[in-house]
Amino acid sequence: MASKRHLTRRAQQLAARTEHAIRVVAKPLAKYGFPWRSPTVPRGITVPEKPDTLGGNFETDWARRPLASVFRSAFTAGPMKLMTTVLARPEVLGLDRLTDLARLDDPPPLIFAPDHHSHLDTSVMIQAIPPAWRRDLVVAAAADYFFDKRWKATFSALALNAIPIDREATGRQSADLFRDLIDDGRSLLIYPEGGRSPDGWAQPFKGGAAYLSAKTGVAVVPVHIEGTGAIFGKGMKKPRPGRTRVIFGEPLLSLPDENTRRYNARIEAAVGRLTEESVSDYWTAARRAAAGAANRLEGPSTSSWRRKWLLTERRHREISGRNNRPDRSWPNLGPRQK
Amino acid sequence: MKALQVRHNVRRLGAARLLSVTSPKTSARIAPVDLRNVDDPAEPSGAGWVKVRTRLAGICGSDLALIDGHASTYFEDFVSFPFVPGHEIVGELETGERVVIEPVLGHAARGSVPPWDGAAPADGDDYAHLVRGHLKPGIQTGFCCSTGGGWAPWFWAHESQLHSVPTEMSDERAVLVEPLAGSVHAALMAVQHTNHHLTDTESPIVAVLGAGTMGLGAIAAVRGAVPNARIVAGARYPHQMRFAKGFGADVVAPGDEVLRAVRRMSGAHRIGAGLSSGAHATINAVGDSASLALSINITRPRGATVLLGMPGESKLDLTPLWHREVALLGAYTYGTEQIEGNDVRTFDLAMTLANRIEAERLLSATYRLDQHVEALAHAASAGRRGAVKIAFDVREDQ
Amino acid sequence: MPRPGFVLDVDRSTPPMLFWHGEKFSLERLPADRSRVIYPAESFPGLTDPQAAIRDALEHPLDMDPLRALLHADMKLTICFDDASLSLPKMRRPDSRQRIIEAVLDLAAEAGVDDVHIIAALGLHRRMHDYELRHVLGNRIFDAFAPNGTLYQHDAEDPENLTVLGETDHGEVLEINKRVADSDLVVYANVNQVAMDGGWKSLVTGVASYRCLSHHHNPESLQNTRSLMDRHHSALHHSIWRLGKVLRDNGPKVFQIESTINTDAFPSPFEFLSKREWEWTARDRMTYLATAKTLDRLPRRAARKIFHGIEAPYAMTGVYAGFTESVHERTLEDVYRQHIVEVEGQTDILTLGVPFISPYNPESIMNPILVMCMGLGYMFNMYRNKPLVREGGVIIMTHPTYRDFHPVHHPSYIDFFDEVLSDTTDPAVMSEKWERRYAEDEWYRHLYRTGNAYHGVHPFYAWYWGAHGQQWAGKVIIVGGDPTAVRRMGFTPASTMDDAFELASDVVGRSPSITHLHVPSVLVADVK
Repeated sequence: MASKRHLTRRAQQLAARTEHAIRVVAKPLAKYGFPWRSPTVPRGITVPEKPDTLGGNFETDWARRPLASVFRSAFTAGPMKLMTTVLARPEVLGLDRLTDLARLDDPPPLIFAPDHHSHLDTSVMIQAIPPAWRRDLVVAAAADYFFDKRWKATFSALALNAIPIDREATGRQSADLFRDLIDDGRSLLIYPEGGRSPDGWAQPFKGGAAYLSAKTGVAVVPVHIEGTGAIFGKGMKKPRPGRTRVIFGEPLLSLPDENTRRYNARIEAAVGRLTEESVSDYWTAARRAAAGAANRLEGPSTSSWRRKWLLTERRHREISGRNNRPDRSWPNLGPRQK
Repeated sequence: MKALQVRHNVRRLGAARLLSVTSPKTSARIAPVDLRNVDDPAEPSGAGWVKVRTRLAGICGSDLALIDGHASTYFEDFVSFPFVPGHEIVGELETGERVVIEPVLGHAARGSVPPWDGAAPADGDDYAHLVRGHLKPGIQTGFCCSTGGGWAPWFWAHESQLHSVPTEMSDERAVLVEPLAGSVHAALMAVQHTNHHLTDTESPIVAVLGAGTMGLGAIAAVRGAVPNARIVAGARYPHQMRFAKGFGADVVAPGDEVLRAVRRMSGAHRIGAGLSSGAHATINAVGDSASLALSINITRPRGATVLLGMPGESKLDLTPLWHREVALLGAYTYGTEQIEGNDVRTFDLAMTLANRIEAERLLSATYRLDQHVEALAHAASAGRRGAVKIAFDVREDQ
Repeated sequence: MPRPGFVLDVDRSTPPMLFWHGEKFSLERLPADRSRVIYPAESFPGLTDPQAAIRDALEHPLDMDPLRALLHADMKLTICFDDASLSLPKMRRPDSRQRIIEAVLDLAAEAGVDDVHIIAALGLHRRMHDYELRHVLGNRIFDAFAPNGTLYQHDAEDPENLTVLGETDHGEVLEINKRVADSDLVVYANVNQVAMDGGWKSLVTGVASYRCLSHHHNPESLQNTRSLMDRHHSALHHSIWRLGKVLRDNGPKVFQIESTINTDAFPSPFEFLSKREWEWTARDRMTYLATAKTLDRLPRRAARKIFHGIEAPYAMTGVYAGFTESVHERTLEDVYRQHIVEVEGQTDILTLGVPFISPYNPESIMNPILVMCMGLGYMFNMYRNKPLVREGGVIIMTHPTYRDFHPVHHPSYIDFFDEVLSDTTDPAVMSEKWERRYAEDEWYRHLYRTGNAYHGVHPFYAWYWGAHGQQWAGKVIIVGGDPTAVRRMGFTPASTMDDAFELASDVVGRSPSITHLHVPSVLVADVK
């Protein structure tokens, strides 16, 4: 039964021996300088600033070449699927709203617009989207989060086929790039909220998806994802495995003479209706939508504790909720221990 | 005399039992019954004994069970080895008068006091007399070493066992009287049990499982006793089905369809493996575990299941019996019956029945005593071979 | 461009023909120069945008106001739909009924309708299992309506929930489901796979009582129904149309939505089953051999499971909405366009390969009575004008006809086989002597109402369905069937097709003319 002190002592002894060995090996190498090693800059010289190739300027075309695509397919089918299944156990509903398009010989590209609670959303979505669109799917990811370090940028581009999008303002460059990709027949996964929800309720939808759909004529598929916030929400250090649900809605197209703002509102309302569908059912959601009732997306404009309280109630009912509670087969002997 | 005799040989009994599964003929050959020269039995003590010359002697299921090792060890105390089997006998007295034998060796034969005046040999509620008295232990002629038995040229019978055979009744019909008496007794027991549960307009439903000699006799007896009864018979072979229909069964069904037939007739619901209601009484002439369970399942609550013919050891879930308050009754043989307040001997009723149904039709084949292997094999596989009753014909030897 | 159906005259170069044989297949060579084979038309392409077609039909119905105008907030709306006896085999999801009912519900939600009941119009058929309801309606509708009891199945034996609406001038009483009768609007979602269905039949049989059905589900009506697929010459349909008039005059407002499907019954790689034999590619032939050999070796249950798992890639080819009679006329035009094949004259013998499924055993076992119903009932009746075989001719069917019954779905069929068929095979006699007892048996009633069993009287209906064929044919032979079962039904068993022709020679002589009906793919022969 080794004590902590004893272990630390053993570690130190090991480190000392290793250091000594490295010193012995490195000694003859000391005489190698420039050009073997990088140069030092003389005094008085100012080094010009290198152009920033990270963030929004990161080049991602290479990730769509055949070799990279093959790697990505393998990664998606293997490690990503395993991780998603273990952490999130997703349940996918509403796929029959897309079957007619999927059964066409040449399915048209689509823009998927889900609500956003967690970094896990992207992998859950990639697993949930039908194969017809999964292969050429491009993900719009926040430039300042996913592309700030080189290794992060490379991984995002390779594994997720991600493209950096500037959160503050949809720059001209990003928009043109997306349009080109869509015209090439690729589908797009973009989170209209712009970022993960801080408290479980949705943030206002930005108009990127609506703008692209109107300009390219590609349909927007509203999607509701539930449960990822509890597994790996904003601010959590470690993921906690749980269950998730993805509901696809009817594809929407922009109407003639409809401006981007109105279209965006329509998309937002559609995702709100899907949220209601997840909590209660399709029929209740349809009626509430028709009656113009406030949707469940943004939550009540009340104090924060009540927002949190209603959120837990909703979460309780959704995934571990009504549809999944096992039927009792014995008399009710008192309150449930939860 | 030369007679068929059974000796107590456990090894041969065991072998016969095992072989009975695949080869009835080999089983019959190895069974511990042989045709040999046996000592003539001495006249038993006490008065009233007469010599009877055998004319026809039938082979019964209980005989077969004893010989091929299937019989329960319960009977070990009620038989005395070595004995000559055969208890379904029509014979001839020295005076030339023909008789059928009521084989139970009862009070009068053994010199004990009968339970009441005019009681039949099997009556009473104490069986002590079956193993005491003037004779060695033996429930019936054919299981007792003191008297001899039917599968022999002659044997000793007590006057209390004799029933006169009218001249018009052939030997072939008379040899069926004893088994029919057993059927009558069981049928009356079943019918009498149902009487207190019926409304005036309702006619009882009686199910009879098993269509060998005893089962067929039971069908005929029920039909005779209760003309408006609705009878469902379970029979396996086509010739049995024809007899069953002819003797008065309303519906005849093979084994696995009996439950549905009873359900349709009684309008019951099915609950699990059984019925919510069912027959007022069921007569089980098969005797194995499966048919016993079926009998209880198709008998309505507070009805009765009557066991006809010697059953063996069975495994039975008693919960349905308990829950349905079904009476499980044994019907051994015959004695005195109560019909509308009067005492009637079962044998007399059996004679009437034998005449009504022309019972000689049930006698399918006869064999000589020296052909006993073929006879026993035929009797053991009677149903499959389209036969009902097999008997020994001892008349030529006279 | 799909090719129309046609009649092939068999000669010596004709390959053997594909016969259904329950859960197996066989290839039989038909005698040359006196046999012909009726091939159905190739499958029509489906609508490119079924959702849009449905929405359009609801906006522009036939002889009625648009559905939108008929819906208002405080009304009683009832939606009825065809049960699991359609389609055969079941359709890939989403089912046409799901599409139609979701479109209706979207409009109802917009109008603010709260009181909506959705009822499976199953008549005296069995209640559907939950998974079957989910398949037909989709998970959204099921999860929204089933938990609170507003999605349920018609119960023809519930006296509290039946209403008499009136009587025809022939004395036929219209007695239907009370909720349907009391509704402000009844919407019916139909899938018209065969010409027999649709029109007034949807509601008049689907939500009726036993009393009401017995006016036309009886031997006399069915013997005078020539044929089931031709309502103008069908006593069954004449009676139903009379009852339909009572429904129209005294009943709720009915908005009928009928849809048609093409004949793409098999997913790839099994589409060759509908192809003409001489067009089978090498790959098709290999697939056939592999399938046939495997099926021969598989135990019955496994083969049945495979076949009942087939989800047909049927595509919707048309949808019409509005006033029942107008809608049905248009639907029938589409149905006949897909199904009709012109045929000249009758023959001495008609051969039928009977498949593993009938409308009365979805997800279940095809018992001998249903073999008779499918062969002599449905397939024999796939004609207009005259049957394909002459009166007194011979009908030869191929099916294993095993004595197997599904104890949960078909309990009264077992007793019908044991008790009724041992007594008589004559529909008129059995309807007099036995039908009432089975219709009123408490146990069957209990199973129909609470379990998943067909009504006690249903085996009689299955038998009556074949009454016209039974009366018409001089002899009926089943090849490859269980001999005791075949004989119990009053037919003749044969081991091979040649033996069957030999047995037929007693009736039709040594050189009879033969017609083979090439199913799969439904067809209706218009016989001149």
